[in-house]
Amino acid sequence: MAVRDILLYPDPRLKMVCDTVPEGQDLGPLIQDLLDTMYEAGHSVGVAAPQIGVPLRVVVVDVSGSKLGRKNNHGCLVMVNPEILEREGSMTMREGCMSVPDYTGNVTRAEEVLVQFHDRGGTGRVIRAGGFEAVAIQHEIDHLDGYLFLDRVSSLKTDLFRRKQR
Amino acid sequence: MNHYALTIIGRDHPGIVSRVTEILYRRGCNIADSSCSILGGQFAMLLIISQPEEESGEDLLHYFAPLEEENLSVFLRTLRPGGEIRLHLQGELCMVSVYGSDKPGIVYRVARELGEREINITDLNTKLIGSEQRPVYVMMLEAMLPAGMSVKDLEQAMAAVAGELQVDISVRAINPVEL
Repeated sequence: MAVRDILLYPDPRLKMVCDTVPEGQDLGPLIQDLLDTMYEAGHSVGVAAPQIGVPLRVVVVDVSGSKLGRKNNHGCLVMVNPEILEREGSMTMREGCMSVPDYTGNVTRAEEVLVQFHDRGGTGRVIRAGGFEAVAIQHEIDHLDGYLFLDRVSSLKTDLFRRKQR
Repeated sequence: MNHYALTIIGRDHPGIVSRVTEILYRRGCNIADSSCSILGGQFAMLLIISQPEEESGEDLLHYFAPLEEENLSVFLRTLRPGGEIRLHLQGELCMVSVYGSDKPGIVYRVARELGEREINITDLNTKLIGSEQRPVYVMMLEAMLPAGMSVKDLEQAMAAVAGELQVDISVRAINPVEL
Protein backbone atom coordinates (compact mmCIF):
# COMPACT_ATOMS: atom_id res chain seq x y z
CA MET A 1 0.00 0.00 0.00
CA ALA A 2 2.17 2.84 1.21
CA VAL A 3 5.17 3.75 3.24
CA ARG A 4 3.98 6.31 5.74
CA ASP A 5 5.90 9.06 7.49
CA ILE A 6 6.87 8.24 11.04
CA LEU A 7 5.66 10.86 13.50
CA LEU A 8 8.43 12.41 15.52
CA TYR A 9 8.23 13.40 19.14
CA PRO A 10 6.97 15.96 20.33
CA ASP A 11 3.98 15.16 18.14
CA PRO A 12 1.20 14.84 20.77
CA ARG A 13 -0.25 11.80 18.99
CA LEU A 14 2.70 9.79 20.28
CA LYS A 15 1.65 10.38 23.88
CA MET A 16 -1.99 9.32 23.53
CA VAL A 17 -3.57 6.12 24.78
CA CYS A 18 -4.84 4.32 21.67
CA ASP A 19 -8.33 2.93 21.22
CA THR A 20 -9.14 -0.75 21.25
CA VAL A 21 -10.00 -1.99 17.77
CA PRO A 22 -13.67 -3.01 17.64
CA GLU A 23 -14.38 -6.50 16.37
CA GLY A 24 -14.96 -6.75 12.64
CA GLN A 25 -13.18 -3.51 11.73
CA ASP A 26 -11.29 -3.73 8.43
CA LEU A 27 -7.65 -3.18 9.26
CA GLY A 28 -6.20 -4.41 5.96
CA PRO A 29 -4.91 -1.09 4.63
CA LEU A 30 -3.57 0.03 8.03
CA ILE A 31 -1.71 -3.25 8.59
CA GLN A 32 -0.21 -3.14 5.10
CA ASP A 33 0.95 0.44 5.67
CA LEU A 34 2.55 -0.55 8.96
CA LEU A 35 4.38 -3.47 7.33
CA ASP A 36 5.48 -1.39 4.35
CA THR A 37 6.73 1.34 6.66
CA MET A 38 8.61 -1.12 8.87
CA TYR A 39 10.29 -2.97 6.00
CA GLU A 40 11.09 0.19 4.08
CA ALA A 41 13.01 1.53 7.08
CA GLY A 42 15.32 -1.46 6.66
CA HIS A 43 16.77 -1.58 10.13
CA SER A 44 13.43 -1.32 11.92
CA VAL A 45 11.92 -4.38 13.60
CA GLY A 46 8.59 -2.92 14.63
CA VAL A 47 6.11 -0.11 14.14
CA ALA A 48 3.05 0.83 16.13
CA ALA A 49 -0.05 2.42 14.57
CA PRO A 50 0.26 5.68 16.56
CA GLN A 51 3.70 6.18 15.01
CA ILE A 52 1.98 6.75 11.66
CA GLY A 53 -0.78 8.80 13.25
CA VAL A 54 -3.46 6.14 13.71
CA PRO A 55 -4.67 5.95 17.33
CA LEU A 56 -5.57 2.26 17.29
CA ARG A 57 -4.10 -0.68 19.20
CA VAL A 58 -2.22 -2.30 16.33
CA VAL A 59 1.49 -3.09 16.05
CA VAL A 60 3.70 -5.05 13.71
CA VAL A 61 6.93 -6.74 14.80
CA ASP A 62 9.43 -8.77 12.81
CA VAL A 63 12.85 -9.45 14.28
CA SER A 64 13.63 -12.36 11.96
CA GLY A 65 15.88 -10.24 9.73
CA SER A 66 18.00 -8.84 12.54
CA LYS A 67 21.17 -10.37 13.91
CA LEU A 68 19.82 -10.27 17.45
CA GLY A 69 16.48 -11.87 16.74
CA ARG A 70 17.32 -14.28 13.96
CA LYS A 71 17.48 -17.38 16.12
CA ASN A 72 14.44 -16.89 18.26
CA ASN A 73 11.35 -15.38 16.66
CA HIS A 74 7.82 -15.89 15.43
CA GLY A 75 8.44 -14.28 12.05
CA CYS A 76 6.23 -11.42 11.02
CA LEU A 77 3.75 -10.64 13.79
CA VAL A 78 0.69 -8.50 13.29
CA MET A 79 -0.85 -7.80 16.68
CA VAL A 80 -4.28 -6.30 17.11
CA ASN A 81 -5.31 -5.34 20.66
CA PRO A 82 -2.21 -6.97 22.13
CA GLU A 83 -2.03 -7.53 25.83
CA ILE A 84 0.88 -8.79 27.87
CA LEU A 85 -0.38 -11.49 30.22
CA GLU A 86 2.89 -12.48 31.87
CA ARG A 87 6.38 -11.07 32.19
CA GLU A 88 9.46 -12.96 33.33
CA GLY A 89 13.10 -12.12 33.88
CA SER A 90 14.78 -8.92 32.89
CA MET A 91 17.24 -7.78 30.30
CA THR A 92 18.74 -4.47 29.33
CA MET A 93 19.20 -3.30 25.79
CA ARG A 94 20.30 -0.08 24.22
CA GLU A 95 17.11 1.07 22.58
CA GLY A 96 16.39 3.73 20.04
CA CYS A 97 13.17 4.65 18.31
CA MET A 98 12.29 5.98 14.87
CA SER A 99 10.07 8.56 16.60
CA VAL A 100 12.95 9.83 18.75
CA PRO A 101 15.91 10.04 16.36
CA ASP A 102 19.51 10.56 17.44
CA TYR A 103 19.13 9.23 20.94
CA THR A 104 19.52 5.80 22.45
CA GLY A 105 19.33 4.71 26.04
CA ASN A 106 19.52 1.60 28.17
CA VAL A 107 16.12 0.16 28.90
CA THR A 108 15.44 -2.78 31.17
CA ARG A 109 12.49 -4.91 30.17
CA ALA A 110 11.12 -8.40 30.76
CA GLU A 111 13.18 -11.11 29.10
CA GLU A 112 10.15 -13.20 28.29
CA VAL A 113 6.53 -12.23 27.74
CA LEU A 114 3.29 -14.06 27.17
CA VAL A 115 1.20 -11.98 24.78
CA GLN A 116 -2.41 -12.30 23.74
CA PHE A 117 -3.62 -10.64 20.55
CA HIS A 118 -5.65 -11.04 17.39
CA ASP A 119 -3.69 -11.68 14.23
CA ARG A 120 -4.21 -10.26 10.76
CA GLY A 121 -7.01 -12.73 10.06
CA GLY A 122 -8.78 -11.89 13.32
CA THR A 123 -7.80 -15.14 15.02
CA GLY A 124 -7.10 -14.95 18.73
CA ARG A 125 -3.54 -16.04 19.58
CA VAL A 126 -1.29 -16.34 22.58
CA ILE A 127 2.46 -16.57 22.11
CA ARG A 128 5.47 -16.70 24.38
CA ALA A 129 8.28 -14.50 23.11
CA GLY A 130 11.79 -14.13 24.48
CA GLY A 131 14.94 -12.08 24.06
CA PHE A 132 15.03 -9.39 21.44
CA GLU A 133 11.57 -10.28 20.14
CA ALA A 134 10.14 -9.82 23.64
CA VAL A 135 11.86 -6.44 23.92
CA ALA A 136 10.53 -5.34 20.54
CA ILE A 137 6.98 -6.39 21.47
CA GLN A 138 7.12 -4.49 24.77
CA HIS A 139 8.53 -1.41 23.04
CA GLU A 140 5.76 -1.40 20.43
CA ILE A 141 2.96 -2.09 22.92
CA ASP A 142 4.27 0.81 25.02
CA HIS A 143 3.53 3.08 22.03
CA LEU A 144 -0.15 2.12 22.32
CA ASP A 145 -0.26 3.60 25.82
CA GLY A 146 1.67 6.74 24.95
CA TYR A 147 4.95 5.57 26.41
CA LEU A 148 8.22 6.17 24.62
CA PHE A 149 11.45 4.39 25.51
CA LEU A 150 12.50 7.69 27.08
CA ASP A 151 9.93 6.94 29.80
CA ARG A 152 11.80 3.73 30.57
CA VAL A 153 15.46 4.68 30.19
CA SER A 154 17.63 3.73 33.09
CA SER A 155 21.00 5.27 33.65
CA LEU A 156 24.00 3.11 33.17
CA LYS A 157 25.74 4.78 36.03
CA THR A 158 22.86 4.57 38.45
CA ASP A 159 22.24 0.95 37.59
CA LEU A 160 25.78 -0.05 38.09
CA PHE A 161 26.45 1.73 41.33
CA ARG A 162 23.04 1.76 42.96
CA ARG A 163 23.86 -1.26 45.12
CA LYS A 164 26.61 0.62 46.85
CA GLN A 165 24.17 3.00 48.48
CA ARG A 166 22.06 0.32 50.10
CA MET B 1 25.59 32.84 18.35
CA ASN B 2 28.41 32.17 20.77
CA HIS B 3 28.79 28.76 22.32
CA TYR B 4 30.64 28.13 25.53
CA ALA B 5 31.79 25.16 27.54
CA LEU B 6 30.97 25.83 31.17
CA THR B 7 32.43 23.77 33.99
CA ILE B 8 31.36 24.18 37.60
CA ILE B 9 32.58 22.11 40.46
CA GLY B 10 32.31 22.35 44.21
CA ARG B 11 31.42 20.55 47.42
CA ASP B 12 28.07 18.90 46.87
CA HIS B 13 25.02 20.45 48.49
CA PRO B 14 21.41 20.97 47.44
CA GLY B 15 20.70 23.96 45.22
CA ILE B 16 23.78 24.09 42.99
CA VAL B 17 21.90 23.30 39.76
CA SER B 18 19.25 25.82 40.64
CA ARG B 19 21.82 28.57 41.31
CA VAL B 20 23.69 27.91 38.09
CA THR B 21 20.66 27.59 35.86
CA GLU B 22 19.10 30.74 37.28
CA ILE B 23 22.13 32.72 36.16
CA LEU B 24 21.99 31.07 32.73
CA TYR B 25 18.29 31.77 32.42
CA ARG B 26 18.68 35.43 33.36
CA ARG B 27 21.45 35.87 30.78
CA GLY B 28 19.29 34.28 28.07
CA CYS B 29 21.54 31.26 27.73
CA ASN B 30 20.43 27.91 26.39
CA ILE B 31 21.81 24.65 27.71
CA ALA B 32 22.54 22.64 24.60
CA ASP B 33 24.15 19.64 26.25
CA SER B 34 25.05 18.76 29.79
CA SER B 35 26.33 16.13 32.12
CA CYS B 36 26.25 16.63 35.86
CA SER B 37 27.16 14.21 38.59
CA ILE B 38 28.55 13.74 42.05
CA LEU B 39 32.18 12.70 41.86
CA GLY B 40 33.53 11.89 45.28
CA GLY B 41 32.09 14.64 47.44
CA GLN B 42 32.09 17.16 44.61
CA PHE B 43 29.23 18.09 42.37
CA ALA B 44 30.53 18.55 38.84
CA MET B 45 28.63 20.26 36.06
CA LEU B 46 29.73 20.21 32.45
CA LEU B 47 27.55 22.24 30.13
CA ILE B 48 27.61 23.39 26.55
CA ILE B 49 25.67 26.62 26.45
CA SER B 50 24.71 29.12 23.78
CA GLN B 51 24.05 32.79 24.24
CA PRO B 52 22.30 34.82 21.57
CA GLU B 53 23.34 38.15 23.11
CA GLU B 54 26.92 37.77 21.89
CA GLU B 55 28.38 38.80 25.19
CA SER B 56 32.07 38.10 25.48
CA GLY B 57 33.09 35.13 27.57
CA GLU B 58 34.65 37.47 30.07
CA ASP B 59 31.45 39.47 30.47
CA LEU B 60 29.43 36.32 30.89
CA LEU B 61 31.83 34.89 33.43
CA HIS B 62 31.33 38.01 35.51
CA TYR B 63 27.75 36.91 36.29
CA PHE B 64 29.04 33.73 37.86
CA ALA B 65 31.21 35.58 40.36
CA PRO B 66 28.71 35.03 43.21
CA LEU B 67 29.17 31.29 42.76
CA GLU B 68 32.89 31.60 43.38
CA GLU B 69 32.03 33.21 46.70
CA GLU B 70 30.01 30.10 47.50
CA ASN B 71 33.09 27.95 46.95
CA LEU B 72 32.06 26.75 43.52
CA SER B 73 34.78 26.90 40.89
CA VAL B 74 33.61 28.21 37.55
CA PHE B 75 35.44 27.83 34.27
CA LEU B 76 34.14 29.16 30.97
CA ARG B 77 35.62 28.49 27.58
CA THR B 78 34.46 30.11 24.36
CA LEU B 79 34.06 27.49 21.66
CA ARG B 80 35.20 28.04 18.10
CA PRO B 81 32.36 28.12 15.58
CA GLY B 82 31.12 24.57 15.12
CA GLY B 83 32.77 23.41 18.32
CA GLU B 84 29.38 22.64 19.83
CA ILE B 85 28.42 20.18 17.09
CA ARG B 86 28.81 16.53 17.93
CA LEU B 87 30.96 14.60 15.48
CA HIS B 88 29.14 11.82 13.76
CA LEU B 89 31.09 8.73 14.73
CA GLN B 90 30.64 5.55 12.80
CA GLY B 91 31.79 2.17 13.92
CA GLU B 92 30.94 -0.60 16.29
CA LEU B 93 30.08 0.51 19.80
CA CYS B 94 31.30 -1.59 22.65
CA MET B 95 31.52 -1.56 26.40
CA VAL B 96 34.69 -2.35 28.27
CA SER B 97 34.41 -3.25 31.96
CA VAL B 98 37.58 -3.27 34.00
CA TYR B 99 37.73 -4.20 37.65
CA GLY B 100 40.30 -5.40 40.10
CA SER B 101 42.19 -4.43 43.22
CA ASP B 102 42.98 -0.75 43.21
CA LYS B 103 46.34 0.35 41.93
CA PRO B 104 47.68 3.37 40.07
CA GLY B 105 47.67 3.33 36.28
CA ILE B 106 44.63 1.23 35.43
CA VAL B 107 42.85 3.96 33.47
CA TYR B 108 46.02 5.10 31.74
CA ARG B 109 47.09 1.63 30.71
CA VAL B 110 43.69 0.74 29.24
CA ALA B 111 43.24 4.14 27.60
CA ARG B 112 46.69 3.96 26.04
CA GLU B 113 45.84 0.65 24.47
CA LEU B 114 42.64 2.12 23.03
CA GLY B 115 44.28 5.32 21.86
CA GLU B 116 47.02 3.47 20.01
CA ARG B 117 44.33 1.63 18.08
CA GLU B 118 42.38 4.79 17.21
CA ILE B 119 39.51 3.61 19.37
CA ASN B 120 37.37 6.53 20.45
CA ILE B 121 36.28 6.58 24.10
CA THR B 122 32.76 8.03 24.14
CA ASP B 123 31.98 7.61 27.82
CA LEU B 124 34.01 6.73 30.87
CA ASN B 125 33.09 6.22 34.50
CA THR B 126 35.21 4.97 37.33
CA LYS B 127 34.39 4.20 40.92
CA LEU B 128 36.15 2.84 43.94
CA ILE B 129 34.03 0.17 45.56
CA GLY B 130 34.58 -2.65 48.00
CA SER B 131 35.80 -2.14 51.55
CA GLU B 132 38.41 0.23 52.88
CA GLN B 133 40.74 -2.68 53.51
CA ARG B 134 40.21 -4.20 50.10
CA PRO B 135 39.32 -1.47 47.67
CA VAL B 136 38.15 -2.55 44.24
CA TYR B 137 38.50 -0.28 41.27
CA VAL B 138 35.76 -0.36 38.67
CA MET B 139 35.95 1.32 35.29
CA MET B 140 33.25 1.17 32.66
CA LEU B 141 33.87 2.74 29.34
CA GLU B 142 32.07 2.93 26.06
CA ALA B 143 34.16 3.08 22.96
CA MET B 144 33.66 3.27 19.23
CA LEU B 145 35.84 0.93 17.23
CA PRO B 146 37.34 2.19 13.98
CA ALA B 147 36.18 0.60 10.74
CA GLY B 148 37.64 -2.84 10.21
CA MET B 149 38.19 -3.60 13.89
CA SER B 150 36.04 -6.19 15.60
CA VAL B 151 35.08 -6.64 19.22
CA LYS B 152 37.16 -9.83 19.14
CA ASP B 153 40.28 -7.85 18.17
CA LEU B 154 39.76 -5.54 21.12
CA GLU B 155 39.09 -8.47 23.39
CA GLN B 156 42.49 -9.91 22.50
CA ALA B 157 44.26 -6.64 23.12
CA MET B 158 42.50 -6.25 26.47
CA ALA B 159 43.35 -9.79 27.55
CA ALA B 160 47.04 -8.87 27.42
CA VAL B 161 46.42 -5.72 29.47
CA ALA B 162 44.32 -7.65 31.98
CA GLY B 163 47.17 -10.08 32.54
CA GLU B 164 49.68 -7.32 32.96
CA LEU B 165 47.54 -5.27 35.39
CA GLN B 166 46.11 -8.31 37.18
CA VAL B 167 42.57 -7.06 36.70
CA ASP B 168 39.50 -8.48 35.00
CA ILE B 169 38.50 -6.95 31.72
CA SER B 170 35.50 -7.84 29.62
CA VAL B 171 34.50 -6.43 26.29
CA ARG B 172 31.05 -6.71 24.85
CA ALA B 173 29.31 -5.26 21.86
CA ILE B 174 26.50 -2.81 22.47
CA ASN B 175 23.99 -3.09 19.68
CA PRO B 176 21.76 -0.07 19.79
CA VAL B 177 18.46 -1.27 18.35
CA GLU B 178 15.94 0.94 16.63
CA LEU B 179 12.40 -0.20 17.22
